[in-house]
Amino acid sequence: MGKSGAGKTSMRSLIFSNYTAHDTQRLGATIDVEHSTVQFMGDLNLNIWDCGGQHKYLDNYLTEQKENIFGNVEVLIYVFDLETSNRESEYVLYDDCLANLATFSKDAKVYCLVHKMDKIGDPDQKIATVESYRRALAKRSDMFKPDVYGTSIWDHTLYQAWSQIVYKLVPNMGIIERHLKNFCKLTDASEVVLFERATFLVVCYTSPDQSVPLDKYMGASQSIKQYRNICSQAQSPFRSVQMRNKNSTLFIEPFTKSTYILVITTDPEIEPAVTKANIEAAKSHFIKLAD
Amino acid sequence: MNGYGGGGGPGAGNNGIGMYGPPNGLGNTGPAADIGLEAEHTVHNSEEQLAERRVLFMGLPRSGKTSILKVIFEQELAYDTLSLMPTLQRTEHRLITGISVYDFPGIDDFSDSQYSLINPEIYAGEFTSLVFVVDSQSDIQSSLTSLFSVVRSAQSVNPHIPINVFINKVDGLSDELKQDIQHDIQQRVLKNMGYENLNSANVHFLLTTIFNESIREALSKVVQYLVPRNSSLETILNSFCSKSSLDKVFLIDAATKLYLATDSSPTYSPQYVFACQTIDAMDEIAGMCPVQTSEGEVDSAMQRITIGLDGIAEVFIYQINGNLSLFCIGVSQVINQTSLLEFNGSKIAKAIRKILPP
Repeated sequence: MGKSGAGKTSMRSLIFSNYTAHDTQRLGATIDVEHSTVQFMGDLNLNIWDCGGQHKYLDNYLTEQKENIFGNVEVLIYVFDLETSNRESEYVLYDDCLANLATFSKDAKVYCLVHKMDKIGDPDQKIATVESYRRALAKRSDMFKPDVYGTSIWDHTLYQAWSQIVYKLVPNMGIIERHLKNFCKLTDASEVVLFERATFLVVCYTSPDQSVPLDKYMGASQSIKQYRNICSQAQSPFRSVQMRNKNSTLFIEPFTKSTYILVITTDPEIEPAVTKANIEAAKSHFIKLAD
Repeated sequence: MNGYGGGGGPGAGNNGIGMYGPPNGLGNTGPAADIGLEAEHTVHNSEEQLAERRVLFMGLPRSGKTSILKVIFEQELAYDTLSLMPTLQRTEHRLITGISVYDFPGIDDFSDSQYSLINPEIYAGEFTSLVFVVDSQSDIQSSLTSLFSVVRSAQSVNPHIPINVFINKVDGLSDELKQDIQHDIQQRVLKNMGYENLNSANVHFLLTTIFNESIREALSKVVQYLVPRNSSLETILNSFCSKSSLDKVFLIDAATKLYLATDSSPTYSPQYVFACQTIDAMDEIAGMCPVQTSEGEVDSAMQRITIGLDGIAEVFIYQINGNLSLFCIGVSQVINQTSLLEFNGSKIAKAIRKILPP
């Protein structure tokens, strides 16, 4: 949901259909509602309703079709355009959406993405802008407690926001996270990250060292995904990467049928072959877990 | 795009008339000590005196010379170089092997500008190469007129100077149109040189644009013949290829992604484009590894990357030192024998480090 031209379809194409940021310039306006179903983590089917943002559609959603649109919603992602001329009118629309949501699906989770953050150059101002949105939105949406993220299709912030969104969606995340922690301990790895296979979103990550910044995995999501496109253009689909430095080894390997795993070890005593064997051995366990 | 290693015509089909043979008088004939000395000198050369091994970039104003060099040497994005100030002074960009690339101010009018002041000696020397950039989307005739003036004064000093005509800004043109433009320019240049009795044996034509890797490929071809002892390098890479049954090896300069040498099997441009893109992606991924503490020149300290692909070939990247990497393409059975590759790689790396001291 969001106003016309906010970038809803752009972000959907980027995450779920392998578009590059440049490609999205070609996209036209979305007519009515585009339904798409995405298989995520194998068995989780995400039904994504990309709602056209033009006035006539929006009015339609809020009046005639409200039951249809707002019924059975698990997650509402509302996209704010940073460049909007009239912030107040955006909020009015947002209020209407939430009011409907409250009637038809009370338990839905609301995410607000303040989009096109790349238009602001200064990092301090970026934070301030997101903060101002956050305060304004918190006042307006008392029962939903929305999460607010600043995003842009030109850097990894979009991946970051979406990773958080899917993290809440995957049902048995707690179990997966616990087993991943265990795996990390058993292999003596310094970092283990689980990526979803199709979108390369970060599903789950763990590290004995708590201070690891999450940002770098998001950057990796983006670059691996881009590289995978390049590989398939060269007719040799991407499978795995093994990178060895003086004191660290990095693996990116296909894991279960819906995930990729990234393992970084920093102990020079650990032979890469051992880590690789460990990944192989853990595979079957995680496949069982997914079932 | 054809799959690399697969079909495709022999040679990189559209790259001008000649295959790139070593230019006259340039083999590995010179004694090694001599070459080592030359490399020493170039480092200390100031603006006044040009480096021994040099590439001269010339062309009309706004033909894209500075853009090209910014994209390659300063890693700027192509989109950011669209509005650059005209170059007023000769600027120098250095490649690691003692090769310098000089960016000259655009030639407006050959007779009156600073060009008349240019000492023709800059064209002299065995290791000088001229790049003339022609803007394919503007008046080609005036470009060619100044090209002939440059060639005349260059050949009066150095009859064997390689002349590379970069037909620039071909992005957005269809393949057919590109071929037409190249053919047209080629005809006009060669005919005119024939009339004027100029030596056209060392003229090469390359289609380039800063929006893809074609510009790197073109400049690689120019630079390769200036690399010290290039034929020994090729021999080394050939033996690496045959001993380890690899399909293709590039010796790549990390900063600019130009290839300084490759084995003698035909080079398909998709292969090189893929190499560039792979190196870009791997740089980003490598950013995730913890920062390396000490930059020792110990062999085992350098980076090794194996990339598994489900296609015809896989990739192995062997870092020789901070500046150079070997980019190897081979079938998966070969790439999976990492220990063999690393052993061979370490021998090759040792040899290359001797030829190209950092």
